[in-house]
Amino acid sequence: MAVIDETDWTPPPPSLRRYLPTLRRLIGLLLLIVLTAMFLLPIVWMLMMSFQAGEKMFQLRTEWIPTVWHFENYPNALSRAPFAQYFLNSGIVSVVVMITNVVFCTLAGYGLAKFRFPGSSVLLLLILSTMMLPLEVTLVPTFLVVHKFDWINTYQGIVAPLLIDAFGIFLMRQSMISIPKDFIEAARIDGAGELRILLQIILPQCLPALSVLAIFSFRDSWDQFLWPLTVVSVDELRTFPLGLVQFGEDYGNPPTEQMVIAVLATIPVFLLFAILQRSVNKGFGLSGLK
Amino acid sequence: MAELATSQHDELASAESRSWHLHHRRKITLWGIAFVLPTIIFFAVFKYGPMLWAIELSFHSYDMISAPRYVGLDNYRALIADPIFRSTLFNTLIYISCTTTLLTVIGLMLALAINTGIPGARHCMTAMFLSNLMPVIAVCLVWRILLHPYGVVNQLLQHVGFGRIDWLTSEWTAMPSIIMVTVWRFAPYFMVVFLAALLALPDDYYEAAEIDGAGPIRRFFHITLPLLMPTIFFVVVVSALLCARVFLYPYLITGGGPGNATRVLSMLIYETGFSYLKMGQAAAISVVLFAIMLVFTSLQITLFTRSERIYF
Repeated sequence: MAVIDETDWTPPPPSLRRYLPTLRRLIGLLLLIVLTAMFLLPIVWMLMMSFQAGEKMFQLRTEWIPTVWHFENYPNALSRAPFAQYFLNSGIVSVVVMITNVVFCTLAGYGLAKFRFPGSSVLLLLILSTMMLPLEVTLVPTFLVVHKFDWINTYQGIVAPLLIDAFGIFLMRQSMISIPKDFIEAARIDGAGELRILLQIILPQCLPALSVLAIFSFRDSWDQFLWPLTVVSVDELRTFPLGLVQFGEDYGNPPTEQMVIAVLATIPVFLLFAILQRSVNKGFGLSGLK
Repeated sequence: MAELATSQHDELASAESRSWHLHHRRKITLWGIAFVLPTIIFFAVFKYGPMLWAIELSFHSYDMISAPRYVGLDNYRALIADPIFRSTLFNTLIYISCTTTLLTVIGLMLALAINTGIPGARHCMTAMFLSNLMPVIAVCLVWRILLHPYGVVNQLLQHVGFGRIDWLTSEWTAMPSIIMVTVWRFAPYFMVVFLAALLALPDDYYEAAEIDGAGPIRRFFHITLPLLMPTIFFVVVVSALLCARVFLYPYLITGGGPGNATRVLSMLIYETGFSYLKMGQAAAISVVLFAIMLVFTSLQITLFTRSERIYF
């Protein structure tokens, strides 16, 4: 009955077919933009609310772009509590922790990657195992150790347990392990000292890993909350997260000004990321990404 | 004496060279040890020392004022009898398993979306990664207000026809909210881990499969997924270790409430140790949390010794 007449069938217009891959890409791009928006919008919201009037934060319809830009939120927030001091404390702690991590993780990573000595493989596992001993777990005894050193309410006390992180050692070790031993041997025959070999031959080849280590150790110490909360009880030594939580709890501080501090606290990390980004991407193993 | 020894060696040139070589080797080994030494000392003082102390302390009653008093297993007995501890342990395990599952699945999906080669995908990746760099405290403050009954999340949901949800004050949605915020924070990190693994996959498998006529879905399940198994395993372990130590998200977003719905072990350690000064009891909770992390760490060590590969 139903004989298909071949002449009835018309191929889709060639123009449509030609645009099909483009269309697919467009839908993909749209999807990607929605996904990105989900991660980006809270950050944009924070930025916008830092310029918003205090009473407009809890409205039935959020005013995403302020009708009146309250730039004065910034100086107001900074003058209501000693945030300059808090940021300075956080900065000191984070920079110190970043530097010690970069130095000691490089040294230990090199020692574990390119040297064999009795017990070196056991040592590697022991260091890897410290990932199960974060400060949250050892909080009480670490406090008692720092107490024994008489470092409660000091910079040393805040910094001490954060100085070296096993993650960084492994990051550095893995980036060094593939460097051929011949490089090192050749340098030794030329009479180069061990430290010079590390600085001039090894280190230039692991700058991407070093960037990842730098940004992660800075971020993690900048974020530290529980440990400073435990070890600091005087206002002058508070880091900004402690100051900001206190600021939120104190009566009468508008939430928009909390957002001001949140924005200011975000800037250093984003800035460091912007500076190191190219190298960080390489360190993540993303250099092949189009 | 040393000079005498040296002069004796001088007489035998080959022996001298051998001894120089040995000396040289030993010097290099000493350098290797010297490079690792600061780390060994640091971990002994600030990781293993405190852990051993915690185990010892967990058998004592200690308030920092009077001397520690041996109480045997009393601290552990008290924990088992304590309903707050039991629900906190339960919350922690729920949090670890749900967050880890979501992070693995969403991280992989995001990586696949970026890896499609759509122009601009790289910039989307960078933009998403910002959520992983934002200070945690800012993340918590922002999400606490976004999840407010009149907040942005409910406003958006109302557009799709949902009623108002009391995200943070209802017992059923408080923990899912904390999990959601954690996923928002860490999914882009695991996306990057997965993306690096995807980029390292060999192309020829895919070319062969395409010639054989395998569609994209079959290619994913028969090539990509099996090849990604080590990475998936790694992500699960790392994210579980990350979640086991969670403190700040529930502490700042819900304060452990409503009731005890979002209280986790690290919060209980802090409160028991420093609000109630029951250091021995807090150490016992530490030992429990340590045991949980030990499970995942031994998995990680197994993985490491098998493949000798550590992802960042």
